Amino acid sequence: MTRQQPAATVSATAITALQTALAAEQAACYGYGVVGAYLSGPDASRAHVDWVAHQVARDRLTATISGAGADPVPAAVAYKLPIPVRSAAAARSLAVILEDRVAQAYMSLVGVTDLEVRALGAVKLRETALRAAAWSHTTVAFPGLTSSSLDGAGSKPAISEPG
Amino acid sequence: MAAGPTRRAMLAASAAAVPLLVSACRGIQVLGTPPPPGRDVRALQSAISGERALISSYHSAIAQATAAGSGDRATVASLSRLLAEHHQHLAQLTARLVEPSRSAAPPVKPTPSASAPAGLGAVIASLAAAEQAASARLASQLLAVPPSLAQLMASISASEATHLPVLHSLGKSR
Repeated sequence: MTRQQPAATVSATAITALQTALAAEQAACYGYGVVGAYLSGPDASRAHVDWVAHQVARDRLTATISGAGADPVPAAVAYKLPIPVRSAAAARSLAVILEDRVAQAYMSLVGVTDLEVRALGAVKLRETALRAAAWSHTTVAFPGLTSSSLDGAGSKPAISEPG
Repeated sequence: MAAGPTRRAMLAASAAAVPLLVSACRGIQVLGTPPPPGRDVRALQSAISGERALISSYHSAIAQATAAGSGDRATVASLSRLLAEHHQHLAQLTARLVEPSRSAAPPVKPTPSASAPAGLGAVIASLAAAEQAASARLASQLLAVPPSLAQLMASISASEATHLPVLHSLGKSR
């Protein structure tokens, strides 16, 4: 982090969440390079479109973080893939995993009180859920949320009303 | 652990105090009027009734697809899977709302469009429109609620957005 005054008013929590999202997008950019290499035909085209979408998202997050006066996290030179990829089927599975990870990162943006950042997180979460559904040919009830975060929900109601 | 009861107690105390103060000026009719629910409560109640309406519409569509015969078995299976996700949405939303039992929401009646005689294709198209509207409504309401509820609403909004391509492909195959 630099000592300079933020150009835009973005909370430290929001910056941390933006950095998390940036790191996830950087990993997705790397991963989609692998995904595309194992696919052909329409799947290869889709992988390319998704790859570009992640690159655009990465660049916008980088600009947003810089604009707020923070140093964007640098991308790693290489990433350890979550699963070995030697086939088209594994490539499609990797795409789903990459999208799920990006979704969880954007969920941290939705959790901040800065409304612009929260709205961005919600939009990106929807986009990543749509890509994951297209790759997996199925849908999930709670994109971006882990089962542990859902299990805890019942124990602390967000709202209580007088009886 | 102590925070919940304390907050509830404070809310209850303020609920009692407000009508008493107002009653000094306006007479006895206002005694006992509950305070208007907060924005987060309203957003949650709206999300809950939205899910109930969607569930009801899915039930109607599934009944119609079932009646249409065995050729629509795949459609019934797809719709049932989406319906199951809405039940999960509703369960998570209702778990966040603690409200007096007397104000439990009335059962939602099927929407007129779903029960009106229409082809299954039209019914699926109206389901898609309802999903899209519900997803958009959640996306705007999540800006006015606390973070953890915002995350749940964002997730449900995204899930409902993913139902659209499924419904569109079901509609196309008709």
